[in-house]
Amino acid sequence: MTGLAPHLFNGLTLGMLFALIALGFTLIIGVMEVINLAHGALFALGAYFALTILGDWSAGTAFGAWWLGFPLTVRYVAALVLAPILAGCAGMVLERCLRPTYDKVPLYGLLLTFGAALVIEEAIRLLWGTGEKSLALPEAISGAVLVGGLIYSKYKLFAAIFALAAIAAVWLFLERTSYGAIIKAGAHDSEMVRALGYDLAKLRMLVFGFGAGLAGLAGVIMVPIWGLRPHVGVDVVIPAFLIIVLGGVGSFWGAVVASLLVGLTVGITGAYASAWSTMSMYLLLIAVVGVRARGLFGRKSALEN
Amino acid sequence: MLKSRLTRRRLLGTSAAAAGVTAFHGPWVHNRVYAAATDKPIRIGITSDASGQYANSGASDRRGMHMAIDEFNAKGGVLGRKIEAIHIDTETTPATGSRVAERMISREQCGFLIGAVHSGVANAISQVAQKYGVIYLNTNSSSPTESGKDCHRVKFVWDGNGTNFSKAAVKNSIDSFGKNWMLLTNDYVWGHNTSAATRKLLTEYGGEISEEILIPQGTRDFSSALLKIQQAKPVVVAAAVGGDDQKALRTQVAQLGMGESPAWISNQQDWPDVYGLPLDNLFGVFGTTWYYKLDLPGVAEFVQRYQAAYPDTQMRVPGNVFYNGYMATRELLGAIERAGTTSNVAVIKQLEGHKMPATERMQHHDAWIDPATHQVQQTIYLATANAGTQDKDDMFKILTQSAPEDVLDAGAAEACKLESHADTPTFDA
Repeated sequence: MTGLAPHLFNGLTLGMLFALIALGFTLIIGVMEVINLAHGALFALGAYFALTILGDWSAGTAFGAWWLGFPLTVRYVAALVLAPILAGCAGMVLERCLRPTYDKVPLYGLLLTFGAALVIEEAIRLLWGTGEKSLALPEAISGAVLVGGLIYSKYKLFAAIFALAAIAAVWLFLERTSYGAIIKAGAHDSEMVRALGYDLAKLRMLVFGFGAGLAGLAGVIMVPIWGLRPHVGVDVVIPAFLIIVLGGVGSFWGAVVASLLVGLTVGITGAYASAWSTMSMYLLLIAVVGVRARGLFGRKSALEN
Repeated sequence: MLKSRLTRRRLLGTSAAAAGVTAFHGPWVHNRVYAAATDKPIRIGITSDASGQYANSGASDRRGMHMAIDEFNAKGGVLGRKIEAIHIDTETTPATGSRVAERMISREQCGFLIGAVHSGVANAISQVAQKYGVIYLNTNSSSPTESGKDCHRVKFVWDGNGTNFSKAAVKNSIDSFGKNWMLLTNDYVWGHNTSAATRKLLTEYGGEISEEILIPQGTRDFSSALLKIQQAKPVVVAAAVGGDDQKALRTQVAQLGMGESPAWISNQQDWPDVYGLPLDNLFGVFGTTWYYKLDLPGVAEFVQRYQAAYPDTQMRVPGNVFYNGYMATRELLGAIERAGTTSNVAVIKQLEGHKMPATERMQHHDAWIDPATHQVQQTIYLATANAGTQDKDDMFKILTQSAPEDVLDAGAAEACKLESHADTPTFDA
């Protein structure tokens, strides 16, 4: 049993990271019923913005002389705050392009976000190059830490705790602020919200921007573990999609619980049946959805009885 | 009646033309016969990955091929014919590789196929190539099976394979570190065959494998595997993990500070997979077939030619993948010239047994193409991270170099059954 404990702990950590990845995706689907296939590309964009904000490229310029004078921790925090905001802006631009598709068959929106994903990935290649890069981390969160006699990555623990904080913050925002109430109302009945005088177009843009910002934030956090390359976003969309279907489309807690389940499954199979580790999340999906089609916490469809 | 006059002249002319046409569509089993039109370009199909796990390496491979092609075209081409190249993305996926090869041969009229990094893709392409008799150069894939059970008469393998690198590394490592090893294996043909080669050698020298952890392609999180390694405490971990998976592994091992203990042996390390990573990530010992700072004649000038041809790429200096792409293409074009024809039988005969002196190869030892397996036997280098270097490109410190005869893949000649020339369709580009 002592052999299992570290893997359980590792699985939960992984689960938290998956939750962070799925968060932005679930918000956009829940509120706008748009499957944002550009989620991965926005993830990558956030990470690349963070790279630029950290400023290593500016060494040798006057700006660089000033900016690089700040300690890495300061620059890293700036990147952590600003990069998601920039990713959010990119998301809002994307939402603007999506508008003509809202009243049409959902396939159009899906195709547009898919196209956007390709465009963003190529734009990344043009602006930042195709090579592998790395995001510098402050001393305080890099290196290793001993837990129970085994070495864990300090950064991964930081990332998991950060993810937990991010999830709590998003939940607080949705549940305890008036903006959150409007967003939830918009998800439930957009016409009524419009009838009550709220600007639905602006609401959608802000929600999309928020979701994109969360995707960007996930990028900044995950990339020191996964590596930073233009196509890093490709590995994000499928797990995110899988998690929200598993948890129930549109359900916040569903996404969180599903992420933990997926993390545990991947972590445990990675240890005991390693060839199945990437396959295991798909098997989990089949097992759950096969029994309960709406996912763990999904809304009951009118067709179910 | 006078409108269509079947004059004798016309009748004779038409018959002569018909006879000429039938002369070319005779009962031969040739795939295509072109008149010896020396202005018809030679078309090369570049089958390399532009997406997926090996996209970066594929790009480097292509640059090598293009540099060789450009050099020949600058001299007027081959046999007076210009060389054209087309590239289709093989997506690091074997099924796509088959499709691409079919299309290049049947629709794009390619006379030769060049390029591979992923061994599964290489295997798929070579089956299609063998079916048509089109010569295929496997530039960079390293599964021992490529020159073993999956060898083909039309295929030539330009990279060192898992067995060659294991032979160079294993004995040294047992002596230096100890006998209790673990294997980390990318779950596809190259990973499996490389780990099998390591296992065989290790057992020969008295070592043992406590466990083999399989890493599915596309794995991004290695924490479970790294925890298991910590729990099992081997002295050496032999990793056969490639491409993007390998980059994530290196990042995560470095973060845990596990690069020193256990000792890591990484079989072959492709340059595009490590270029630009922090030096901390380049832990362990690994193999390569060439390095841009080898102290040999011609190397510096070769690097300059690369930099002049590709001033805008991220990779400021070339590595083994570029080198293999270049060498393979150059030797193919040279073989065509020596053969005096593009007929596949003649070119294959020129390549089999072809000797390449060390000076031309920019390696320490002479190389040759083994006629029994069609694999290039070449110098194998072992390297480690160049700690303390100020030059961020100069990442490797070369530890040893092994002569090809010392690291020969003895099992390959037994496992490889090349198709006879009679069984290989003739083909003329």
